[in-house]
Amino acid sequence: MSIVPQLIVNSLIAAGLYALLAIGFNLIYSTTKFFDLGYGAMTAVGGYGAFLFFSKLGLPMYLALPAGVLIAGIVGFVVYKLVYAPLRARHASNMVLLVASLGVLTMLQATIAMLFSSQFQPLGVADGGTLLIAGAAITHVQVGVIATAILLMLALGLLLKHTMFGKAVRAIGDNEEVSQIVGINTNRVIGHVFFIGSAIGGLAGILWGLDTGIEPTMGLSLLLKAVIAAIIGGVGNVYAGVLGALVLGFAENFGIWKISGEWKDAIAFGILILFLVFRPQGLIKTK
Amino acid sequence: MPYLEHILTLAGIYAILGMSLNLLVGYTGLLSVSHAAFNGVGAYVVAILLTQAGWSFFPAVLVAILLSMAVALLIGLVLGKFRDDYYALASLGFGVIAVAVFRNWSSLTRGPLGIPGIPRPEIFGFTFSSNLSFLIFTVVATVLVYLLCRFIIRSSFGRVLQAIRDDELATQVFGYNSYYFKLTIFVISAGLAAIAGGLLASYLTYIDPGTFVLLDAIFIIAAIILGGLANLNGSVLGAIILILLPEALRFVGFPSEVAAQMRQFVFGLMLVLLMLYRPQGLVGKYKL
Amino acid sequence: MNALEVKNLVKRFDGVHAVDHLSLAIEQGRVTAFVGPNGSGKTTLMHLLSGVFAFDGGQVSIDNVALSNIAPNDIATLGITRTFQSVRLFNQMSVLDNILVVLTERGVWASLFERHTQFHLEKAKEVLEFVGLWDKRAENVDGLSYGQRKLLEIARVLTMNSQIILLDEPFAGLFPEVVKKVRGAVLHLREQGKTVVLIEHNMQLIRELADHVYVLDSGKLLAEGKPEHVLSERKVIEAYLGE
Repeated sequence: MSIVPQLIVNSLIAAGLYALLAIGFNLIYSTTKFFDLGYGAMTAVGGYGAFLFFSKLGLPMYLALPAGVLIAGIVGFVVYKLVYAPLRARHASNMVLLVASLGVLTMLQATIAMLFSSQFQPLGVADGGTLLIAGAAITHVQVGVIATAILLMLALGLLLKHTMFGKAVRAIGDNEEVSQIVGINTNRVIGHVFFIGSAIGGLAGILWGLDTGIEPTMGLSLLLKAVIAAIIGGVGNVYAGVLGALVLGFAENFGIWKISGEWKDAIAFGILILFLVFRPQGLIKTK
Repeated sequence: MPYLEHILTLAGIYAILGMSLNLLVGYTGLLSVSHAAFNGVGAYVVAILLTQAGWSFFPAVLVAILLSMAVALLIGLVLGKFRDDYYALASLGFGVIAVAVFRNWSSLTRGPLGIPGIPRPEIFGFTFSSNLSFLIFTVVATVLVYLLCRFIIRSSFGRVLQAIRDDELATQVFGYNSYYFKLTIFVISAGLAAIAGGLLASYLTYIDPGTFVLLDAIFIIAAIILGGLANLNGSVLGAIILILLPEALRFVGFPSEVAAQMRQFVFGLMLVLLMLYRPQGLVGKYKL
Repeated sequence: MNALEVKNLVKRFDGVHAVDHLSLAIEQGRVTAFVGPNGSGKTTLMHLLSGVFAFDGGQVSIDNVALSNIAPNDIATLGITRTFQSVRLFNQMSVLDNILVVLTERGVWASLFERHTQFHLEKAKEVLEFVGLWDKRAENVDGLSYGQRKLLEIARVLTMNSQIILLDEPFAGLFPEVVKKVRGAVLHLREQGKTVVLIEHNMQLIRELADHVYVLDSGKLLAEGKPEHVLSERKVIEAYLGE
């Protein structure tokens, strides 16, 4: 059946997006060890940030996109400083952080809806170009999604392995207390992590926006995909998230081959629950 | 004042929902985000039985409660294996799956079209068609649920729940099978949520999958945390605030569309502030 | 007669043996103390005996019934109760509730239809007065001092009326007046013919209270015997002074 190449391509596109989402999410989780639901809002912040600069302020796309990413990073950083850092300083439980992040997500989503209207809208002007590869159609934007995911994965890998910052991030992920004892300014490093992670989330939101469109509630569904991909792969492990993204992307797209596309979310969550029950540490064990 | 009747009725329904969730979150320490699923099951069962099978309200609610509890039993068996934030995550998953079922099992639920024309309850020939009569009906239901919840909390069972919340391992070491206790309260709570669902369906006379989405689950959690965990009065208070807030905003002059967003914003802000400064909420006896 | 027998018990963490093929016996009605440097496996052993950790190998016999695994909520029926080194109380409940919850019905349905009675209150009063916390019965546990919390844990195990009581460092960090109360509790239990297993670092208390001492090191049995003999053995002193 000639639909298979298309399914594969669709799976890869989805996987690319989910990989980006998972990478940002895992980066944050690896250092703070809690599920930051506010991360979901960063996708919307990025998407709408780019929208603001492009559609409202008239900046060209190649400037508006990085601006959107930057805004997402800044917002993520500010949220960390105002909300998560104080809570962590007093050793708040993961539940408290989770609930607080829920509040952050809700607030940001509502703010965006109030500023920009809750309508679904396209981001920028798609160049409409489509390629045909082995019998499957893929737009330029979608190629961009996959390319960005790969590039980011490599870039982050280099950052984590070969820079002092990267080593600090990994040290904190291993044992935060010990990291503090050996002199790492964990608060500052985590602040940077939130900036980078949120920026990645914003980037994912922008790419999603270019491919499909933006709406204020996009954060929630994208967040959930990020979490699922992260858990499937092995939560906290930046690379494992990519593997998880691949599994999720393929499972979703091949899963709806025979049944209605409406069940996509249910499939994703079904996989999540299966993993939580049978292999909560994910496919790749991190320690 | 018909408008007052409307918001009081909604407040009563959400108070039932809030109390049932508080049993889980405040007393047992289980952050369940899947409550909308049971609310939805209750609403859909009542809606379907009333519109498609011509049943009368009370038997329909009974079936709704039983079915909701059965679903809760299955979900609870899986959920019981998780702790803390993983529990919340998994329960979220079930909530999403439930809404997907409501949306896609069109042959039963009419999918996104929803179910219109749900009749009001009828007893001994009297129909609760006026808003005032339905309000009284709701208030009675709310009071009954309140008394039931209070009965549970004041029993030894209620004390065990709180012990499980505070230190599950210690309760096990001292002879309790905490798994069964958690499962039981989860099922009971789901049954109560179904009552709220049935009332909602009959009151609104129309439901669709959008009524039970995640965002509303978040609102309810915010409401009970604000009102105060481990305090039934807190849940009633939280529900009242939850319903009154958009009305107050509308009163102050915000247009309807913005009022909904403002409510969302305020609730998000509230969650953050509560976690930072007052995790026990207004009148709560438990700090998250 | 042995209340408890440990045969070849094993517990591993990440490849390291916390308890390494340990075999020993706990005599009934006596106070048995476990000493050893940090990380020697004492608390792990206690966790294994109380179902907190699963065995990786070996057996534990209680009253000559051999078990290759113990679930935490079974230990009460097996006649075991314990305190925790980290003090695990029900922090957002009152002192009285912490005791009542140990007195009331364990079954789901039984507890649902039960309210605590005068009988329960009297039993609670008995133990709380013994540790001197009856006056504080309405207070939340998170408002108590460290010493009071340790005493509450003692009260809790006294309430259980179990045959075997495991105490994990019950005297740690306590002021002398509180030490006296805890010591009183241990002696009281011995008087009642209960079997007490004690993890402790304070040598004086061990000499005073223990009938038998086991010294653990790196999950293995290093020495055993009467306190005066064991505690002056060279290898024991060396183990404590470290490598």
